[in-house]
Amino acid sequence: MDILTVSHLTKTYGEGETRTVALNDVSLTVAEGEFVAIVGSSGSGKSTLLHLIGGVDRPTSGHVMVNGIDVYGRSDEELAVFRRREVGLVYQFYNLVPVLNVVENITLPVALDGRPINQQRLNDLVAKLGLRGREGHLPSQLSGGQQQRVAIGRALMNAPSVVLADEPTGNLDTKNSAEIMQLLRDSNREMGQTMLVITHNEEIALAADRIIAIEDGRIVRDERIRR
Amino acid sequence: MNAMTNFTLKSLRANKVRTLVTVAGVALAAALLTAVLTTYTSLTDMLYRGEASYAGSWMAQVEVEDPTELEASLSAGTADGDISDYAVLQDVGFGELTAQQENIYGIYLPIANLSGNVEELCAIKPSEGRMPEAPGEIMLCSLWRDSDDAVQLGDTLTVKVGDRQAVLAPGREGSMSMGTVSAGIDYVPEDEEQEIVDGTPLNSSMGYLQAVEGAGLFNEELTNTREMTFTVVGFYERNSYASVTSLGLFGFTCGEPTDGTSFAYITMDDVSNSQQVRERAEAAFPDCPVTLHTAMLRYLGINTGGGIWDTFYGIVVILAVVIVAACISLIYNAFAISVAERTGQFGLLASVGATRRQLRRAVVIEGLAIALVGIPLGLIVGLLGCLVTFTLLGPDIAYLFGGSSEIGFRLAVDPIVLIVTSVLTLITVMFSVFIPAWRAGRTNIIESLRGQQGKRASKRGASRAARATNPTKLWKNKGVAGRVFGIGGTLARTNKKRGTSRGAAASVSLALAIVLLLTAGSLSSFLGVLVDVASGGEPAGDIGVAAALMTDEQAEENDAYYNGTPINTSDEPVTLQEVVDTANETFAAEATIFSDCFAAMSQVPDAIPVGWKMSGNAPITVDPSMVSQKFINHEIKGLGTGGMTEDGQFAAYASFVYLDDASFDEFARAQGLDPDYFRDADHPRVIALQQAYGNDGDKYQLLDVFTETGMADVTVGGVYEGRAINAFNVSYIQDGPDEPAVFSITPYVYNYLDDDDTAFDEDVVAAEGEFATQQVEIAAIATEGPALANGDGAEVQLFLPVSMAQHHSFGIQGPVFRSVFNAPEGQSPELSQELVDRGGDFLHEVEGFQTSFYYMNDYVTEVSQNRILATVVNVFCLLFTIILALIALANVFNTVTNGLILRRREFAVMRSIGLSNRQFRRMIVDECASWCIRGLIPGAALSLGVAYLLYVQVGYSLGGLDFHLPWAYIGLAIALTAVAIVVSVAYGMHRCKADNLVEALRTDNV
Repeated sequence: MDILTVSHLTKTYGEGETRTVALNDVSLTVAEGEFVAIVGSSGSGKSTLLHLIGGVDRPTSGHVMVNGIDVYGRSDEELAVFRRREVGLVYQFYNLVPVLNVVENITLPVALDGRPINQQRLNDLVAKLGLRGREGHLPSQLSGGQQQRVAIGRALMNAPSVVLADEPTGNLDTKNSAEIMQLLRDSNREMGQTMLVITHNEEIALAADRIIAIEDGRIVRDERIRR
Repeated sequence: MNAMTNFTLKSLRANKVRTLVTVAGVALAAALLTAVLTTYTSLTDMLYRGEASYAGSWMAQVEVEDPTELEASLSAGTADGDISDYAVLQDVGFGELTAQQENIYGIYLPIANLSGNVEELCAIKPSEGRMPEAPGEIMLCSLWRDSDDAVQLGDTLTVKVGDRQAVLAPGREGSMSMGTVSAGIDYVPEDEEQEIVDGTPLNSSMGYLQAVEGAGLFNEELTNTREMTFTVVGFYERNSYASVTSLGLFGFTCGEPTDGTSFAYITMDDVSNSQQVRERAEAAFPDCPVTLHTAMLRYLGINTGGGIWDTFYGIVVILAVVIVAACISLIYNAFAISVAERTGQFGLLASVGATRRQLRRAVVIEGLAIALVGIPLGLIVGLLGCLVTFTLLGPDIAYLFGGSSEIGFRLAVDPIVLIVTSVLTLITVMFSVFIPAWRAGRTNIIESLRGQQGKRASKRGASRAARATNPTKLWKNKGVAGRVFGIGGTLARTNKKRGTSRGAAASVSLALAIVLLLTAGSLSSFLGVLVDVASGGEPAGDIGVAAALMTDEQAEENDAYYNGTPINTSDEPVTLQEVVDTANETFAAEATIFSDCFAAMSQVPDAIPVGWKMSGNAPITVDPSMVSQKFINHEIKGLGTGGMTEDGQFAAYASFVYLDDASFDEFARAQGLDPDYFRDADHPRVIALQQAYGNDGDKYQLLDVFTETGMADVTVGGVYEGRAINAFNVSYIQDGPDEPAVFSITPYVYNYLDDDDTAFDEDVVAAEGEFATQQVEIAAIATEGPALANGDGAEVQLFLPVSMAQHHSFGIQGPVFRSVFNAPEGQSPELSQELVDRGGDFLHEVEGFQTSFYYMNDYVTEVSQNRILATVVNVFCLLFTIILALIALANVFNTVTNGLILRRREFAVMRSIGLSNRQFRRMIVDECASWCIRGLIPGAALSLGVAYLLYVQVGYSLGGLDFHLPWAYIGLAIALTAVAIVVSVAYGMHRCKADNLVEALRTDNV
C-alpha cells in the first residue's frame, strides 16, 4: 500500500530573472515500510523534496498525500498537528532544543500533542538508541553521534507514518555513521517504519530498498535494489 | 586598510538596519547631551551678558583710601597676572543740589574720576556724546538731559562741590559702625570695624546720614566746598551698579586732582571659586574692604553656591546621568546583538587564523566607525534642535530671566561642551562595546560554526535537566505557566529556568524604559508644581476688576484711627446681637452692591463676564483631626497662620470666598456635589480647599491643609464694655518667657477712650469681652480650587455661594470684590478702561458706602510671566520626554525583536516537529510576561530613586512639597512600554514566522 504519493510537485524560489526552480514537476509514490535513499548533487532539489513531504514548506504547485490525506490542503494549525503525528524529521545538524534534556527532546512531539507519554516505548527507544544513562543530558553535553540518536529518537517517538532524514550522517564519522544507519535500518525492519533518507554516502544508498536520484529538480533515476 | 577593518566595514554595510539604529542611538545620545549642556551654557551666557551690560563684568570691588597704594597694587597685580583688567572710580566730591534737583537726581551729584576699562568692567558708557577725557569734562546721567531744566551736550555746569563729613546730631553722643550705613546696592562690608564719630569723612559707599526723631546719631554736612565748572561731554543711559548709589547719580569726570577714596573694579583669570577671587583680591590690596560680584561670578561658572543654582546644577547632572545610562543600554544592546548575530562569522574568522585580539578589535573598530558618524551627527542635531527651540522660545526665556530685548537669549556654543559631549558619548560607546568585544574574542570556533554559541543552558539549568528524567513525571511539572498556557507555557518555563541569561537584555531595556519615562515624568511634574506655585495659578480671565467698600461710619472710624484720634463711641453702647446683626446687614448690602456692580460692568459692550467673588477673613477653630499634621506642627511658616490653642482646638484665620452662584454651582458639580446642599441658611456649609501654597521668602511651600470634613466654629463678633470688637488677631501668644507659646484668637478694640477720657496708645486686648460664634460645616474638601480662586495664595480657603451672604457674614468686614472678564482678541486695553470706568461710576453712586480700594488688572497686556514660564518649562519637558521615550522605546524594540530573531532557528526546529502557531504564541507571551515582571520591578524601584533625587533637587527651591509619584506618567510609561512590547513581539514573531522554515532551519549565521 502506498503511504506517500507525490504528484506534479513543483517548487520555485524568487521571481523574474532570479527565479530558480528547485523542484520541477516531481511525482513519486512510496509504499509502506519502504526504505528509500535519495541521492543527488548539491542544489539538486532533494532537500526541498524532503521538506515538502515533511510539511515544513509549501509547494508552488502539486500535491503531497501522506496516508491518503492531502498535506497542503490543511490549515497551518492542522499542518502543525500533521508534522508532530505523521512525520519524523532528522537533520544533518540534529536541531535539538538546547534547554531540553535527552528524554524531553525525544518526547517533545508527544508533549506538543498533549498526549500521555508511552513510557514503554520511550524506554525501548532510549535503550535501542544507546542513550541509557544519558537521559538527563542536555544536547550540549552530548557528542554529535549521540545528538543524532536523540534526533532519531524524537523522529520515531510518535511512530509516524514516514521518517524523513536529511543527510543524517553528513556530520558524523564513519563509525557513528554506520551506527546511525543501522538504527534507521533496524527501525525500518523491526517496526516497518517508512524511511526517506537523503545521503551522499554510496554505501548507505546501496543499503536502501530503492534509490531515487534527483538532478536539477527532476527525478533522473528511480531504481529498486533487488537483494 | 587591513583585513579586519575591511571586514568590519563590510559587515556594517551588510547590516544596514542595525547599523542605522546604532548610529541613531549614538547620535541621539550626543544630541541630547549637547542639548542639555548647551541649554545650560546658553542660559548662563544670557545671564552673563545681561549682568555685564547691567553691572559690568567686574569680579571684585576694592575700596582703597590711598591713591598711591592703589596705583602700586594695580601695577603689581597686573604684572603678577593676579589682575587681568581693572577700572577705577575715585571720589572727587559731592555736588550740592537744589531742593528741586534733589527730587530728581538724589541727594548729591557725586563726582568721580574714571580710569581704566570702565566701559566693560563697570558698564559705564555714553549713550550720547563721549566719555570724559580731561579734567573739566563731565558725563551725566541722561535724566539731566531729559528733565525740565534740561542740560545739553556742550553746556557748562557749575556746582558747589564739597566733601561729606559726619556731624553728631544735637543732644546725641556715641559712635556707630560704618557697616550700618552702606550705600551700595548689595554691598556687604567685611571687617567693618571702622567707627563713625563726629567729623568722620564719608565716601560715596556710605549712605546718607540723617538723624530723625527717635533714631540715628549723626547728620552729615559738606565741608571744604569749592565751586567747580564742567563741560558736559556725554550722557549715560543705564544706571549701573557703579554709577548709582543711594546718594545720587554719579557725574563722571577724568583726572581731577583729588585725594578721595578710590574704588577699584577688577577681573581675574583662572579662578574657580568665589573664595579664590576674594583671597586674590585681598592679597593684592591688603587691608582693603573687598566686595564680590556674586552674580557675575556665578554666570562665569565660578562656584558660588546657593539654593536655586544647586537645583539647576543638580537637575543637569541627574539628566546627564540618566541620558548616559539610557544610551549605554541602547548602544550596548545594539552591539551585543550585532556580535551575537555574527558569532558564526567570528568563528569562521578565528578558524582561518584571526587572533582574539583581532576579533576584539573588529568590534572596537565597529564601535569607532559608528561613533565617527554618530557623534558629529548628534552634535549637529543637538545644536540645531537648540537653535530652533531657542529661536522660538528665545524672547520668552529672555523675558523670564529678567533679560531685555537687548540681551536676547541666543545659542551659546561652548567648545568645551562639544568636547565633553563627544568624549562622554565616545566613552559611552566604548563602554558599551567592551563586553561584546570581549565576547567576540572568546568565540568558540567549533560551536560557533555549528551555530550553537550562546544557546547553551546555564549550569543550574543542566543540573535541573539532569534531574528531570523520570518518565512518569516527564512534562508533568508544568508550573503556573504550564497550567495557563499549556505546553507553550511549559516550554517557556523550562527555557526560563534552564537558559543562560535569555531575556535579561529585554528586562534591562524594559526597566530602563520605565526609568526614562518616569524620570521625564517626575521632572515635568516637579517643575510643573514649581511653576504652578511660582505663578500662583493662571488668571481666570483677561481683565480683573477688584474693589472693597466701607460704610460711612467705618470710614469715619478709620480716619480717626489713622489720624491717631481716639475713638469715643462709648455714649452708645451696643449689644452682641446688634454687632452681629449690623455685620450681617452690611455684608448682605455689600453682596448686593457687588452683584449689581458686576451686572453693570457686564453691560459694557464686548465684555465677556467670567464671574466674580467676594472674600474676607474670619477666625475659625476646628478639631485638630481635620487638618494635616504639617499644618498643626507649623512646619510651613509662610502659610497664613494656624496652630493649636490652649483647649486643644486648631485655630486659623480662614478666607471665606463667596463665589457668584453660577461659578459656585459649576465648582460644586465638578467636585461631584449638589450645589443646593450649600444653600441651607440655617446650616451653613462650605467646600474647603485641600492644599495651600506659601512662600517664606526663600522657598515656595505647598502643603495639605484639610484632611477631614467636619464642623468649624467661626468667631463672628464680640463686645467689650459696650464696644464692638474691631479685629481678631490670630497668633502665638507667650504669657511669660518660660511659658509655652499658645496659639490664640485675640480680640482687639482699637484705641478707645474710656470713661475718664484717658487715651491709650495701644489697641486694647479685649479678652474679657462677650463673643458670638457660629458653626459652619466643612462639608467637602476639594483638591483643586475654582478658576476664580487662583492667585489668592497662602491661606485656608472656604468656598460658598454668594447668595448665602444674604443670611450670614461670619463677621467679615470690608470683603474684597474681585470680578473677571474676558475681552475679544486685541481689545483688552480699551475694554479694561471701560470696565474700570463703569464699575467705578457704579460704586461711586452707592449710598452709605465709600470705596476703600479699587483697581484693575489687564492680564492680557501685562503678559503673564507665569504663562511664559509654564510654556518654556513645558516645551523643555516635552522635548526631553519625547527624546527619552524614543531612546527607551527603540531600545525595547531592538532587544525584544532581536532576542526573538536570534532564536529563529530554535523556533523553526520546534515548529518543524509540530509546535503549532498557537502554542508558539503562548510560549512567547509567557516568556514576555516573565521578563516584563523582571524588568518592571527593578525599573519601578529605580524610577522611584530617580524621582526622589529630582524631588530632593527641586526641594532646594521648593519646600514642603510632598513627594508624590507622577501617576499620569506612570500610566503613560506602562502604556508606552506595553505598546512597544506588543509591537516588538508582534514584529519579532512575524519575522520568525514569515521566515521560511527551511531557511531558518539552515540558518548558519556565517
